[in-house]
Amino acid sequence: MHIVDGALSNPVVIGGAVAAAGGIALGLKTLDLDRIPTAGVLSASFFVASLIHVPIGPSSVHLILNGLAGLLLGWAAFPALFVGLLLQAVFFGFGGLTVLGVNTLNIALPAVLAWLLFGRLIGRGTPVQGAVWGGLGGAFAIAGTTAMVAAALALSGEGFLPAAKLVFFAHIPVMAIEAVLTGFAVLLARKVKPELFVRGIAA
Amino acid sequence: MRRLLLIAALACAPLPAAAHKVIAGVFPSGEAIEGELGFSNGDMAADTEVVVTGPDGTELGRTRTDADGFFTYVPTAPVAHSFHANLGAGHVAEVTMPAEDVARILGAAPAAAPAPAAPGEAPSPAGGALGAAEKQAIAEAVRDEVRPLRREIAAYREHNDLQSILGGIGYIVGLFGLGFYLAARRKLAG
Repeated sequence: MHIVDGALSNPVVIGGAVAAAGGIALGLKTLDLDRIPTAGVLSASFFVASLIHVPIGPSSVHLILNGLAGLLLGWAAFPALFVGLLLQAVFFGFGGLTVLGVNTLNIALPAVLAWLLFGRLIGRGTPVQGAVWGGLGGAFAIAGTTAMVAAALALSGEGFLPAAKLVFFAHIPVMAIEAVLTGFAVLLARKVKPELFVRGIAA
Repeated sequence: MRRLLLIAALACAPLPAAAHKVIAGVFPSGEAIEGELGFSNGDMAADTEVVVTGPDGTELGRTRTDADGFFTYVPTAPVAHSFHANLGAGHVAEVTMPAEDVARILGAAPAAAPAPAAPGEAPSPAGGALGAAEKQAIAEAVRDEVRPLRREIAAYREHNDLQSILGGIGYIVGLFGLGFYLAARRKLAG
């Protein structure tokens, strides 16, 4: 899921960095005092989630948890995920520093899209209904990320469809796991701290 | 708090596996350059094409990895050799062997190639008691002995221990604490 240094052409890297900077600026604006702790907790969970590997066939993929971050934070997912990615690059060598912008965009933009699509629905109805929408949002964010990764590779010269298929199918188990995880997290949060979602929509 | 605990419990359940990172290394092996290619979780890149380029980007040749992710390439010119491989899905490996090392390999080659005179290290004209063939055999044996160690070191370098995980979390807490402080100060001032 993390694209490494040297895999992308320069225009893609620069474009991704500019877009990510815009997203981070927008996110920081919406990040008010009450939501900073949420952002910090989600940033830390994102940072650790990448170490949880799901074995599939000969290879393995890792959890991402960007959907949950997006659903709870909205645009503020950009700075939260950026911090997580930066530290993953520095501590674990995932991805790289030059492609940080592209990776931030690939992971945070689908998260924000999931929030725009499902954010409202999660706060409504019974907690169980909210959890179902949350699970859908979690799976949607991963699917979006695979599409973004494939698009970034395609813009750098690799064939889009083979790359997209490879990344997408490799992440189907992750989508399922993240859907369940996000669903339960939403269910729990709806019961314990319902105002989390009301705030998220108001912002 | 309960959500936090849930996340913490989920995060701790499976043991952190090795990172999904590309590792690549090249080292001299007699008259050839030997290299290995794979992922840091132990999967080696089997049957992958490796493109060899010179310092100016011209293609010098191609080679393929075997089932264990090993490849060999016999250099012909004493220039820096870059080995480039695409493992798919954004995983790209690139590793370069500097010109001096390549020149040393060419110097060590028994059928000393006509053109490239190695700068610095010339092949010693069998000065010692050991003949060239014996030296070659010793070098071969040492390489075979050292190879597992190289792998172990490469794997060890990729190992993520609890310290770096906790360190990263510490940075996040600190960073968001700082953000919290700045936001609070702004709120108090305004």
